[in-house]
Amino acid sequence: MSATQFIELIINGLITGSIYALVGSGIALVYGTTRVLNFAHGELMMLAGYGVLLFAVTLGWPVLLAALATILIVMLLGAVIQRVTIAPLLKREDWAFNVVAATIGLSIFLQSAAQLIWGEQFQGVPYFFNGVAVIGEVRMPWQRIAIFLVALGVMGLCALVLYRTRLGRIIRATAQDAEAALAVGIPSGLVHTAVFAISAALAGTGAILLSPLVTVSPWMGASYLLKGFAVVILGGLGSFGGAVAAGFLLGLIESFSVAFVSTEWSNVVAFLFLIAVIWARPEGLFAGRGA
Amino acid sequence: MLEVFGRRPYLVLLVMALLLAPVPLLQLNDYILHVLTLFLIFAVFATGWNLTLGILGLKTLGHHAFFAVGAYASAMVSHYFGVSPWITIWLAALIAALTGLLIGFPILRIRSMPHVAIVTLAFAEIVRLVFANLKEITRGELGFWGIPPFDPIQIGETTIRFGLGNAAGSFAVAAIMFVGVHLALLLLLRGRCGLTFLAIRDAEAAAESLGVRLAAWKLFAFAISAAVVGLSGAVYAHYVLILTPTSVAGPEMLISLLAMIIVGGVGRFFGPIYGALLLTVTSELLRDFGDFRMLLYGALIIVFVFAAPAGIAGLKPRFSRKETETRKTVEAV
Repeated sequence: MSATQFIELIINGLITGSIYALVGSGIALVYGTTRVLNFAHGELMMLAGYGVLLFAVTLGWPVLLAALATILIVMLLGAVIQRVTIAPLLKREDWAFNVVAATIGLSIFLQSAAQLIWGEQFQGVPYFFNGVAVIGEVRMPWQRIAIFLVALGVMGLCALVLYRTRLGRIIRATAQDAEAALAVGIPSGLVHTAVFAISAALAGTGAILLSPLVTVSPWMGASYLLKGFAVVILGGLGSFGGAVAAGFLLGLIESFSVAFVSTEWSNVVAFLFLIAVIWARPEGLFAGRGA
Repeated sequence: MLEVFGRRPYLVLLVMALLLAPVPLLQLNDYILHVLTLFLIFAVFATGWNLTLGILGLKTLGHHAFFAVGAYASAMVSHYFGVSPWITIWLAALIAALTGLLIGFPILRIRSMPHVAIVTLAFAEIVRLVFANLKEITRGELGFWGIPPFDPIQIGETTIRFGLGNAAGSFAVAAIMFVGVHLALLLLLRGRCGLTFLAIRDAEAAAESLGVRLAAWKLFAFAISAAVVGLSGAVYAHYVLILTPTSVAGPEMLISLLAMIIVGGVGRFFGPIYGALLLTVTSELLRDFGDFRMLLYGALIIVFVFAAPAGIAGLKPRFSRKETETRKTVEAV
């Protein structure tokens, strides 16, 4: 393997990994605070894809404005989903499986609804950033580099909110003990909804960044959901930082697996790695502090 | 036990068997027999999955992998080595059971529900990708065809033929498997074994403290459940005669079966059967509106989780108890 190839594999791994990290950290945030595994997370991505298609392509808005509008809408949707389908189930004794079942149902419902409304075709979104960056011998379209940089920025912002603001302290307190948080006057129910909205924003960001590369379709979120889950487990369930690190790790593993096996096996390698980790370290690779 | 099996499980099964027995003689139209055959195969699949999901309480989401393993194993052995499907279906059940043990081991150490769900889901995805990628032997998504149907059986003057297009014979095979599997499971679960499973589901730590060897029992349940699902997959393969990785191990299979179990009743022995019947028949009625099938399944899952988490099977005891209570009050008066 030449040095150029090696650098290319690293860059590709980091770019794929940044999407996994975005999706996974959103799932981890929700799991960390509410112990809810949201199977409809991928559909939030899909809806964000259609949002950016509507605003940026059909209506022709500037990219930044379209992205902001899409993220706001997806945050609202995430909050509504939490309020309407998840919050009522949490009062039940066997809520853990009920929530999984309900969000699986919701996920397939949204997917088929999107298929009926927008059809089965894969719709392209033009690149937001044109041109190709040349670093030494490596040529990389700016769009792909932007994915990495924007993802890093958004996750950094999220970490800043979580660990350096009052809202973040409230979220982490709820994550540690929802009842105790309630006792000191934190409205845990509202915090759960807020966390869902933030998680939706992360999924939406991922989908917007991806949409020019993978095209928008009813199934665009489904394939990332399982990767997101894998990232959450690898990172130690519920750990935000762990999920980010695991996302990049999974991206790099997939990228480097291509050097040894053909591309259609790279997902098999990724999931086998997941099962091997579960076997050896059930608590995850980066288990540490929660939320 | 009462909640899981109802009051007279053997009687219920006998009634089901008696209802199924005359069906091939009724001269029904082939299409109706086809729908009923699919129902019986999926009912066995759902019952097998319910064994871990509802009765052992281990929330696995990847049993469509065992269906695919059973289907492909039986199809490939009979196709490539010319072994009779009557033999390969048992081989398929055995291979599925071994696969169940294989994935059972990493799961044993985990007690958190999300871990189990995600690992089993990832495992099913691995199985689907392996069958899709081994194009030289499975032809991938193009479909594995040339699967032999069950060998004809000669009884006196009449020859019974099987496979798609021979509706009565295929229905008979599915019905015999259906009754046989459920009878075997009832015999197994009505005793110590079923009690142990339910004890693990309801109070794992308490069961362990009473000397229940959790690891061994969980692996056992996993193997039995995978074997049942694998057997249903094998019978499916020799009925439809063509397999693609997505049709047997894709997300639609997961959703359909999960919907059957949830609608029928998670953890009720007969629940998945009612769910399979209801959903197989309605999805055939909706065939003209093909795109609505998954929409309906998604909506049904949500509605049942909210309105009737114990499913159709869970609805009945409440009514009957009310009836007996009213009867008692009437008698008292």
